[in-house]
Amino acid sequence: MSIKTSSISYEINNKNILKDISLEVELGEILCVLGPNGAGKSTLLNLLSGDFKPSSGEIYFDGKNLNDISIQERSFMRSVMAQSQAIVFDFSVKEIIEMGWLDKGLSGYADKFQEALDEIAEEASVKDLLNEKFNVLSGGEQRRVHFARTLLQTWRPSNSSDPIYLLLDEPTANLDILHEKKMMQKIKEKAADGIGVMIILHDINVAAKYSDKVAIFKDGQLKDIGPPSAVFDEEKLSATYGLPMKINENPYRITY
Amino acid sequence: MTWFLNYFSFLKHSTSQQILISVLLIFSLAIIFLLSVSFGSFNFSILEFLYPSESSIQKTVLFEIRIPRVLLAGFVGASLGLSGASLQGLFRNPLADPGLIGVSAGAALGAALVIVLGSTYIPAYIFNTLALPISAVAGAALVISLLYFFTRGFGYQGITYMLLIGIAVNAFASVGIGILTFISTDSELRGLTFWTMGSFGGASWQIILPALMIIILSMLWMIPSSRKLDLLQLGEPEAYRLGIDVQKLKFKVIVSSAITVGISVSLSGMIGFVGLVVPHLVRLLGGVNHSYLLPASAFLGASLMMGADLLSRLLIAPAELPVGLITSAIGAPFFLWLIFRSRRI
Repeated sequence: MSIKTSSISYEINNKNILKDISLEVELGEILCVLGPNGAGKSTLLNLLSGDFKPSSGEIYFDGKNLNDISIQERSFMRSVMAQSQAIVFDFSVKEIIEMGWLDKGLSGYADKFQEALDEIAEEASVKDLLNEKFNVLSGGEQRRVHFARTLLQTWRPSNSSDPIYLLLDEPTANLDILHEKKMMQKIKEKAADGIGVMIILHDINVAAKYSDKVAIFKDGQLKDIGPPSAVFDEEKLSATYGLPMKINENPYRITY
Repeated sequence: MTWFLNYFSFLKHSTSQQILISVLLIFSLAIIFLLSVSFGSFNFSILEFLYPSESSIQKTVLFEIRIPRVLLAGFVGASLGLSGASLQGLFRNPLADPGLIGVSAGAALGAALVIVLGSTYIPAYIFNTLALPISAVAGAALVISLLYFFTRGFGYQGITYMLLIGIAVNAFASVGIGILTFISTDSELRGLTFWTMGSFGGASWQIILPALMIIILSMLWMIPSSRKLDLLQLGEPEAYRLGIDVQKLKFKVIVSSAITVGISVSLSGMIGFVGLVVPHLVRLLGGVNHSYLLPASAFLGASLMMGADLLSRLLIAPAELPVGLITSAIGAPFFLWLIFRSRRI
């Protein structure tokens, strides 16, 4: 079971944003996408989410072409956390998180909402925020609330074996170091529970620490993909980012 | 039975406090209805409504003039409140209003055309029951088609376009109405002027029944989408990722607003600010989620409009003030207060 792309490209106004990308996000693993600004990382996430269609190539979810999966079915298969927009009306944090609760088509556990909410609120450390108004929260707190909503969308009872994917675009932006660490550990746990994760990250060291596979993008092309130990090479990294980099083995750290 | 329960399943996203508020709103709606039916240039006691007296002229006034008029006011208020609330949700903008996307202006231009160019040729009974409403709905429909065309089917990035088109349509309609005013005869001008200020006078069963049916159906079609409007507040891409067919939702909100607003404008003229003010009051009362907001806005809109109509009949009785003057006199300062408070725009 996996999300698989077979040589997808995306162009807009004759400009190639992504070129001939083939990769796979497998259940139970974290694929981390790295690369400089404008490399096409977020566009890849948009294509995998189905926000828009690739100009060429196909995307398969568990062997099924994404085009043949309805909008509602997609929401059961994958949960997306991207850069969020401002919310105009004064919703409470609880209401925002509840938006991740897909009540239709999941009739088997429609009555489990409270259980799921308690569990997720704990996991995303938003327990103390539940009754606040969303708009008075700080940027980092809002991020955690969106993370909780994204997790709630993937919530299933413990006996379920539905394949589910998490697509995350810099989820730890604006977080303090404590919450960044907590969130990354939570994502790691989710992967260990069998969820497939694709995550766009900014910090190479965080990526090195938490990912099972790393994909390096530059200028819309997939430069390299594999386990961090194979991909992180001083020469290649320095070339990709246009910045001299040095890998220290003990403790493992990439400095620049 | 199950479809009936399914229909009301959107209510599970309301809190019990919100349901209580809604029940109170319905209760006050009933009281205002009784008051509105009882008072006017011709007074009845409230009980007389329940046990009609024998006097035939009173009966006629009550059943043929007063009740249709009050019902019309209620339904126009409900349409404006509901479409205001759903358009504000759709545009994610607390200042949106049926007038904003040009639908009211389109309806108004359609109606004004018929008033000035048609009233002398068309017999009065056809004019009021058919020509005026059809022309207004056609005007509203034309604006929607324009919106549809320019936004490529209410497309993904269409919201800004819609607002800009609304501005253009409003400008165009006021030019059209201006020209019509200029070329109209004295009697046409009088009709036009009263109509642009809004009034519920002249309502009869024959005129309002078909309109009320269509308004009710269109509201029942719209209200269960409330949960989807909640999710839309996260942004269009997010709503889509949560399984919402955003295009379909936009289509539903725009079409139902256009129908209810177009018909309301044709029957009662231009009544401003109700669609703007009512949803705000409802939010202040009990919260922002649409499963509560949409029905409650319809109830409060109906109550306020009946109240405004009652005022319009009582203030300078036996003469009448145009009801649009009353709603605008209350609504305009409220609008300013909103802008002052939010400072977001």
